[in-house]
Amino acid sequence: MLALLSAGAHSEESPLRGGTIAYAVTNLRWATYLKPEMRVDCPQGVNDGPREQFKSLYPDDGTVRELADTQLQREVDSWYPTTAPDRFPFREAGGVVAIGMNLDGKVGPNDFTSPEGVPGVDNQLYRALGCINSYRDAHGTNDELNSYEVVKESYNRWLIEITGVENLTNSPHVEVNVYRGLDPLHTDATGKGILPGGTQRIDSRWGARFIQHYRGRIVDGVLETEPADLAFPWSVFEVVADEYIHGARFRLKLTPTAAEGLIGGYADIETWYLQLMRSQSTHDQSYGQLSSISLYKALRRLADGYPDPRTGANTAISSALRAQFTQVYILPASKAALPATASLPHYSPYAGPPFPRSASDELQGHEKDPASSSSGNGQVALKP
Amino acid sequence: MDLRWRRSALRLTVIVSALLAPLAMASEAYRPVPMPPEVRVAATELDGPVFTDSKGHTLYQWPLLQMRNGVTGDHLGTSECNEARTDVSAGLMSPYPGGLRLPDLSEHPSCAKMWPPFIAGAAAKPVGKWTVITRKDGSRQWAYDDLPLYTFYLDKHAGDVLGARSDRPTLDAPAVRRPAGPPPDVPPGFAVKTMSTGRLLVTEQGMSVYYSDGDAHGKSSCDATCAETWIPLLAPNLGRARGEFTLIERSPGVNQWAFRGRPLYRYALDGGSHRLKGSDTSGWHNVYTQLAPRPPAEFTVQDTTAGQVLADSSGKTIYSYFCGDDGVDQLECDHPGETDAYRIAVCGGGDAARCLKTFPYVIASAKAVPSGRSWSVMLIDPASGRPALAGQPGALRVWAYRDRPVYTYAGDHSPGDVNGDSHGEFRAERNGYKAFWLRDDFFSRDQPGPG
Repeated sequence: MLALLSAGAHSEESPLRGGTIAYAVTNLRWATYLKPEMRVDCPQGVNDGPREQFKSLYPDDGTVRELADTQLQREVDSWYPTTAPDRFPFREAGGVVAIGMNLDGKVGPNDFTSPEGVPGVDNQLYRALGCINSYRDAHGTNDELNSYEVVKESYNRWLIEITGVENLTNSPHVEVNVYRGLDPLHTDATGKGILPGGTQRIDSRWGARFIQHYRGRIVDGVLETEPADLAFPWSVFEVVADEYIHGARFRLKLTPTAAEGLIGGYADIETWYLQLMRSQSTHDQSYGQLSSISLYKALRRLADGYPDPRTGANTAISSALRAQFTQVYILPASKAALPATASLPHYSPYAGPPFPRSASDELQGHEKDPASSSSGNGQVALKP
Repeated sequence: MDLRWRRSALRLTVIVSALLAPLAMASEAYRPVPMPPEVRVAATELDGPVFTDSKGHTLYQWPLLQMRNGVTGDHLGTSECNEARTDVSAGLMSPYPGGLRLPDLSEHPSCAKMWPPFIAGAAAKPVGKWTVITRKDGSRQWAYDDLPLYTFYLDKHAGDVLGARSDRPTLDAPAVRRPAGPPPDVPPGFAVKTMSTGRLLVTEQGMSVYYSDGDAHGKSSCDATCAETWIPLLAPNLGRARGEFTLIERSPGVNQWAFRGRPLYRYALDGGSHRLKGSDTSGWHNVYTQLAPRPPAEFTVQDTTAGQVLADSSGKTIYSYFCGDDGVDQLECDHPGETDAYRIAVCGGGDAARCLKTFPYVIASAKAVPSGRSWSVMLIDPASGRPALAGQPGALRVWAYRDRPVYTYAGDHSPGDVNGDSHGEFRAERNGYKAFWLRDDFFSRDQPGPG
């Protein structure tokens, strides 16, 4: 393998051609770190979901209830979420260990320590998701489903192309281009094992919004990029939905056949929530005891970056994605057809539902929700 | 109108012109079947040939459907749609329990009022697949393929198919009614798919079928290299010409299907069922048995990250609203004349005024020209969301598709944004808004129309 990495970097057998190598995403999950015993990171257990909350609000006590006051009202609360106090306790992930990156360069009181012992990890999204079954490895319906869809749907076929690579061990200056691919992934006979060496055409038409550019370097076999915003497709159940991460950065261990590691940054909360709501009905959320109504309040409460210049409230939450990529070849002809960078359409994060969110329901500045059980304090507001 | 929108309007013209290819000028042929004397076949704009009663009312079936928490619909030979009004939800769609009182009960119709049974006269006799069943009240009802038949209360004119929205998504949709009709006159191995653009000819696996301008009538000029990308649709040795389908000899002993004289192909790079990708190649076209009416001139077409949507004149994506209640009879609730409690909940949190801002109607200009029966101008009372009377002060003149208003979404800011798509219950399949898709390059949705 070492021979392939070094001498092979310029050989015909190497996927590194002319200083360029490309990969397609094959697994994507929001980074959570779970101890073997649930009580360690969720000492009060996991959160209730839509079924449990509905039953609590409207117990089966013989009362004749109106659908408009119950079922429809819960849908309203989901589609037009607010930061008003939650009627249910929200259990955040505790503990001090989490997967992620130090996004702000500081070690703050809310930060985690990585499993390798590095302090300063910013991953408040884990604090919000960690005690929701839907995102827990052993039970995580969302975790599994979202990752499955990454492979299944060509809409989600995002590619990274690294150019300027001297070798896959060390390259002081590389460029990283993000595209969407158009083609199915190359699989083994089971149809599940993704094989390296497949080809991809770049989607320069529908995927023009996803064409993005980063600068970085490879150090000891790890690609690290400088922070820049990242929009990427993440459709579930055939709904056209995407994600937007402010100040995203890649940290991926590279091999000739795969790239694996983290993508860190501040997830845009409204875009994140919209992707969830449009892709997964309340029914789907119920599988993993995910109450979107409660989760939204937690996301806003734990938000720690990109304050709204008007209100001062943070609009993004520190996060990390565990990502796996498999090596692919990008067909040169499709690259030649790329539109000029200047003509690419701009991708804007979703601004939130225009109505009927009430201004009085919104957090003012960094005021904490008095009804929350948040352990978060001293949240750091970053300038975008 | 800036250059961007002028370009969009031009593209709509180009798309519609492309659809008006010679192969799609005719209406869809069907295979005649034995029918009772009081039954007719009507050509419809969007759904192809359908059965109607003697007055031209489309006939519908309600097939049994496995829902999330149970089954509803008609069993073979039995009607479950009767005169008793359903007052509570059935809980067929989790996570909400059944037994909740449905909204606006005072105006909630019975199933049989919304879907009047197609009554068979005393002298009615079975013929072919047509049989007569006995309803629970003792009356006799026609059935086709053993499924009882109904009309729909909103269908007024021959060719109306307002009760079955072929544009409706189906993954978690209600147990919907479907128009009954004779089979399309296509050879084995072919099928016809209802799209927002027309009735698309596909293979039995759902893959789109194409023809080439480069072929002469009855002769293929696609050589071996061409055939690697454009896969000739070969006929089996026992294949025989029928209707508008003929056979051409591609090479000795090898026959290729042709439709209206044009050799037929699949596109190797389509990547999924009922795609329109191949038509991006100059000289190649999808095959439609009939075209949908072109959208009114006030609309544009916009590229999204997944394909093309219909948009208003300012480039904002058009949305359709879908609603079916969760009573055991799964009644429609997406027409403005029906309860608006569901729609007002998801578009305005219960406030009709907010709905007008969140999902505003698409206002028709004073010069608006309806297109076919599918695109019309409707008067709406903005205060209630209900149909308005002619001359009613403050009434809005809005565009409607299949007799339901269409909307834009205030959360869309740039052309091609589809942030309102799937806004509502069950990804908007039961109560919510779906973008009006004209072309979908990524998903093999069951019905890639507006939804």
